[in-house]
Amino acid sequence: MEQSTKITDKFDFTLFFAFVLLITFGLMAIYSATNSHPTASGNFQKQLYTTILAFILFFVAYSIPYKFYKLISVPSFIFSILPLIAVLFVGKTIYGAKSWISFGPIGFQPSEFSKIGLILFLAYFLTRKGKNPNTIKGFLLVVGYSLIPIILILLEPDMGTAIVYVIITSVMLFWSGVDLFWFFLALSPVVVVFASLFGLAAFILAMLLIIALLFYFKKNIFVNVSIVVLNMTAAFLFDYGLSFLKPHQQKRIETFVNPASDPLGAGYNILQTKVAIGSGGLFGKGFLEGNQTQLRFIPEQWTDFIYCVIGEEFGFMGSILVVVLFLILFSRLIYIATHTKNKFGSLIVIGSLSLYFSHFAINIGMNLGVAPVIGLPLPFMSYGGSSLMVNLILMGIILNFYKNRREQI
Amino acid sequence: MSDKIFGSNLRKNIIIIIVAFIGISFIGQLIKMQIIEHNSYVVKSDNNSVKKIVQKAPRGIFFDRNYKVLVSNKPSYTLQIIPAIYDTSKGRIIEHILDLEKNKINEILRKNRGYSKYLPRVIQRNVSFEDIVWIEENNENLKGVNISVEMQRDYSFDIIGSHIFGYLREINSQQLKQNKNIYNLGDFIGIKGAEKSFEDRLRGDKGYEYILVDARRKTIGKYLEGSNDLQPKKGNDIVFTIDMETQKIAEEEFEKYSGSLVAIKPSTGEILAYVSAPEYNLEEFASVTSQQMMNRLRADPSKPLFDRASNSIYPPGSTIKMLAALIGLEEGLITTKTTVECKGGFKFGNRFFRCHGNDGFVNVEKAIEHSCNTFFYKLILDIGLDRWARYIRMFGFGEPTGIDLGNDAKGIVPDTEYYNRVYGKNKWGRGNLVSLGIGQGELSVTTLQMAQYTALLANFGVTGVPHVGKGYLKDIQSNLTPFSYDKKSISISRKNLEIVRKGMYKVVNGEGTATHIKLPNIKIAGKTGTSQNPHGENHAIFVGFAPYDNPEIAVALIVENVGYGGTFAAPIAQKVIKTYLENLEENELDFVNL
Repeated sequence: MEQSTKITDKFDFTLFFAFVLLITFGLMAIYSATNSHPTASGNFQKQLYTTILAFILFFVAYSIPYKFYKLISVPSFIFSILPLIAVLFVGKTIYGAKSWISFGPIGFQPSEFSKIGLILFLAYFLTRKGKNPNTIKGFLLVVGYSLIPIILILLEPDMGTAIVYVIITSVMLFWSGVDLFWFFLALSPVVVVFASLFGLAAFILAMLLIIALLFYFKKNIFVNVSIVVLNMTAAFLFDYGLSFLKPHQQKRIETFVNPASDPLGAGYNILQTKVAIGSGGLFGKGFLEGNQTQLRFIPEQWTDFIYCVIGEEFGFMGSILVVVLFLILFSRLIYIATHTKNKFGSLIVIGSLSLYFSHFAINIGMNLGVAPVIGLPLPFMSYGGSSLMVNLILMGIILNFYKNRREQI
Repeated sequence: MSDKIFGSNLRKNIIIIIVAFIGISFIGQLIKMQIIEHNSYVVKSDNNSVKKIVQKAPRGIFFDRNYKVLVSNKPSYTLQIIPAIYDTSKGRIIEHILDLEKNKINEILRKNRGYSKYLPRVIQRNVSFEDIVWIEENNENLKGVNISVEMQRDYSFDIIGSHIFGYLREINSQQLKQNKNIYNLGDFIGIKGAEKSFEDRLRGDKGYEYILVDARRKTIGKYLEGSNDLQPKKGNDIVFTIDMETQKIAEEEFEKYSGSLVAIKPSTGEILAYVSAPEYNLEEFASVTSQQMMNRLRADPSKPLFDRASNSIYPPGSTIKMLAALIGLEEGLITTKTTVECKGGFKFGNRFFRCHGNDGFVNVEKAIEHSCNTFFYKLILDIGLDRWARYIRMFGFGEPTGIDLGNDAKGIVPDTEYYNRVYGKNKWGRGNLVSLGIGQGELSVTTLQMAQYTALLANFGVTGVPHVGKGYLKDIQSNLTPFSYDKKSISISRKNLEIVRKGMYKVVNGEGTATHIKLPNIKIAGKTGTSQNPHGENHAIFVGFAPYDNPEIAVALIVENVGYGGTFAAPIAQKVIKTYLENLEENELDFVNL
């Protein structure tokens, strides 16, 4: 095989510049949201320092021999479980969830760092030599292992991150070639339950979709009927189970469905966010000029609502640019995943893609008022050191496998 | 299904479709919000924003022990400008009306240009009522100019008390960081004296008001008729142990002196008067304190910001003699019958320590009455340094009293270890000890410690930690919730205390050094002292209590650089004692009439 010596062959500059630009926009937006804030004005500088640290970690992850990752996949999974247990005992409660461990002034979120462990472990497990993951046993084992961190995170309780873990596991299983019908089986109740939140019409629509898919899979009549019954039961049980949720979670679900129901509480954020983005218009109000942002209509805007700073101050042009940069990033990841001969590496890329994408979809969807308010940061842009470091470490690993994409093992 | 292959094309395409679908729907939603429905959002942003307004809680006020107001609150008006909507051409007329320097407004705006244009900038505090009226009348033409009302301290109650009350300053960024749930930028926080000690009680709880505002930050109305609003809760009022009339007299007496005075109710440790002179003018701290003023006060050679009552240390002079007498009696070194012949001094080695008079044969009671040095020179040699130091400490010297006004000095109680450290082993002799016997030399105490010592003598060895806070009032109707303080007691026999007290009684009522302050109707007991000052005129000291049989007040005071204690300090103590006891009767009568 011909070996190219060009630097572009060893490093995906398109991908690199896409996330560097996103980080830059993120820093600008954090500056805008915090510069006149009485207590958060130091956040820009803090984020600047963590960005430098994150880039160092990125280059380390990029430089070490790629075979190293397979070696540490199992230990890193085990070691990422321990802090998840510890946080339940010694964690700091923020917004009703015990998700932080702090050492003096430094705090970190174990559920962020354990994403790396999960992705490495699943990539290893699904590509073990001589084992076919495409068996009921293999499928159930993967589900079982993933449930350990997911349940621990649900205990915090951090619903948003747990959802991301479910998505990562599903997408990696999907990529490894697991029978689509099993997915359908596992995911259809989720779709039905979600639709049922929006009332009867949405519920019926979801059920129709499931029946249509059942025709596609061509299973026998007995299987088909039991799946339909199971799905309907799930929806009703969920409706019943809602009453057991914590009040702040119930409120979030309620306000997602109808933001106007609580305009000063949880719904306040969605309304003000939409006003901020909508009033930005084509070119925005200008850097540091957005009145919604500068007058602090949206609390803690530098974390989960960073996107609406862009929307308000840089308008449609800025908002589109961010979405396009993410789409470029995703397309490069899909390209790398399909062109990496090493299956282990390919799965890591797909796992990371599912992580970035689920955050992107839920966060921007929430900012645009089309997804529920689930507290998830926007990758590369939101304020927060743990998430930025994890995202850049994964990028380093991805580009490491890109560099070595022609290696079989 | 045939598609069960790792990373197959079908699976890749499914992923691409999902990503593209979400991406395109976001773009679609952005087009809808930012281009198609843009105008309606602009209207919402401009006209219909709910804004949370923080309402500051009025600070608790100060009462004296008889519920007379000591410090209160009054409104003050601050002129603010929001640069985003301010018309700069109006600057000149505003400057003219408010008597500001030319171009001051532009200067302030330029200095703060790094912050959001929507944040109000403070132009002038304490704007007069006439100017407020003018601004309100011309409201229409003065866009971006507004008045905010803040409460500030009102010190117009004829009492100074600067070292009791202390002052507030705008919170700094470090304090803000530590308490970000409680304070906001621009809040005031107690940083000295009672304002600091009782900050948690005084500050109250902030209120919130939700209002509808337009983009120009003008109020359109209340949101949901104010149903979500929360009223601010005023801070707790503090009731002090201070007696206003007594405090006033003490302050007047110290107008022309430097020094300090502490008067204590012996049975409880309640401070009735607390003066450190010179005082500073709290009025200057009522609003924002300028750096200029702070620098001026800090550079003042008379050190008005320094609390002399609890932080200056002096040798106690002859006022310490009662303690030496007590040690002698307690330890069985002397009895009431032990006498020493005084021939105007005491020869020790080749040094001669002088005494003021030629008292002949004196016993312990007479030694206190006449302040006979010879008696105490001899006595302390019998007691010995470390035994002496142990008793001195027992009376609270050498350690902070724990007063509720912040840190007070611990002073110096020399012992063997101390002298070894300072002079080196074997490089000091018993000559040092002789000076200590009459309260000169290294022994250094605060006025506050002396007051506590006097209270212990007055009340037969039992008092409380000295304090100025009696309790707080939750609201106007409720009763006083008292603060609790530790008791302080010493184990000295009542019989011996009575001997010493008798000596103190004779100082004023016998042939002692303070007979000139004798009163016909009040039995005062006390002791004069003169603290030697190598840098200038000696400091005059007096400690005393009254009434002798049932003490209600114990006083300790020092007047710096004037001379003899009997001449300068004792008359001040007399006035303070007289004022307090006469007022006490009146106040008791008042209560009966109620």
